[in-house]
Amino acid sequence: MKAIRVLIVDDSAVMRKIIERCLRQAGIELKEVIEAGNGVEGLAAVQQGPMDLILSDINMPAMDGLEFLQGLRGLDNAKGTPVVMITTEGSESRVVEALSAGARGYIRKPFTPDQVKERVSPLLGGGR
Amino acid sequence: MNRSLAEHAASRVRPDASWQAMMQAAIREVFQLMVGTDIQPADPPADSPSGGVSAMVGMAGAICGVLRLRCSEQTAVSIATKMLGGHEPGALSDTCDAIGEISNMVAGNFKAKIAGLCDACMLSVPTVVVGEDYDVYSLASPERVEVSMTYEDQPLWVGLEISS
Repeated sequence: MKAIRVLIVDDSAVMRKIIERCLRQAGIELKEVIEAGNGVEGLAAVQQGPMDLILSDINMPAMDGLEFLQGLRGLDNAKGTPVVMITTEGSESRVVEALSAGARGYIRKPFTPDQVKERVSPLLGGGR
Repeated sequence: MNRSLAEHAASRVRPDASWQAMMQAAIREVFQLMVGTDIQPADPPADSPSGGVSAMVGMAGAICGVLRLRCSEQTAVSIATKMLGGHEPGALSDTCDAIGEISNMVAGNFKAKIAGLCDACMLSVPTVVVGEDYDVYSLASPERVEVSMTYEDQPLWVGLEISS
């Protein structure tokens, strides 16, 4: 599997570091990690260049994760990029909302590195 | 089907005797998974919350309230260090970030355990207050669920205040 360019969108810098560490522990080789503190920054990052994987929280200031998903629909750079939500919002309605908006997976916080690997690995390297 | 918060508020969920145990379980799971630490209920429980770092998460919908987590700055730094894989936080803001996320996850994990709450209650973005010299006054007459825990022999207090 080639090294990937990943965008992590979460208003917590600590959580972004934890997610990055989980990806590495899952054996996913990271060529570049781009961080964004909310959906606005996330969309700006994707406009700069395509990502191989996007991981996003839902509850964020300025623009939440669901609005971010909707914003990605309009970006050529986001076509085909798998998005996985990582969030405390684990209700069924929120999961359905995120998947309907285009997310390819959903991880509820708190989580283990194995749970991240289970959700993310199939989406990379021919699993799309 | 998406219901508005007003619709959820019309079918309020009331706390019962099981909520304290559910809160303890929610806290322990978050600390086991994200901090790598098994924390226990304090014996005896602390008389009142104390410590220089307080995180708050609002809850709205089937319950309307605030979850607060409070601990010492030293405890908060220890928690943040473990969350960062052994790297000490570079600034107080990183420590507050970590405690805010812990409180966020405790609130989310707790509401997932309560029937009727997971789908019917939303969480705010966490807020963290630094300092010890403050009191909290509620305008309403809240019901409370309070849990006193011990983290590395230090107190850690979590309280959920529910407006009636």
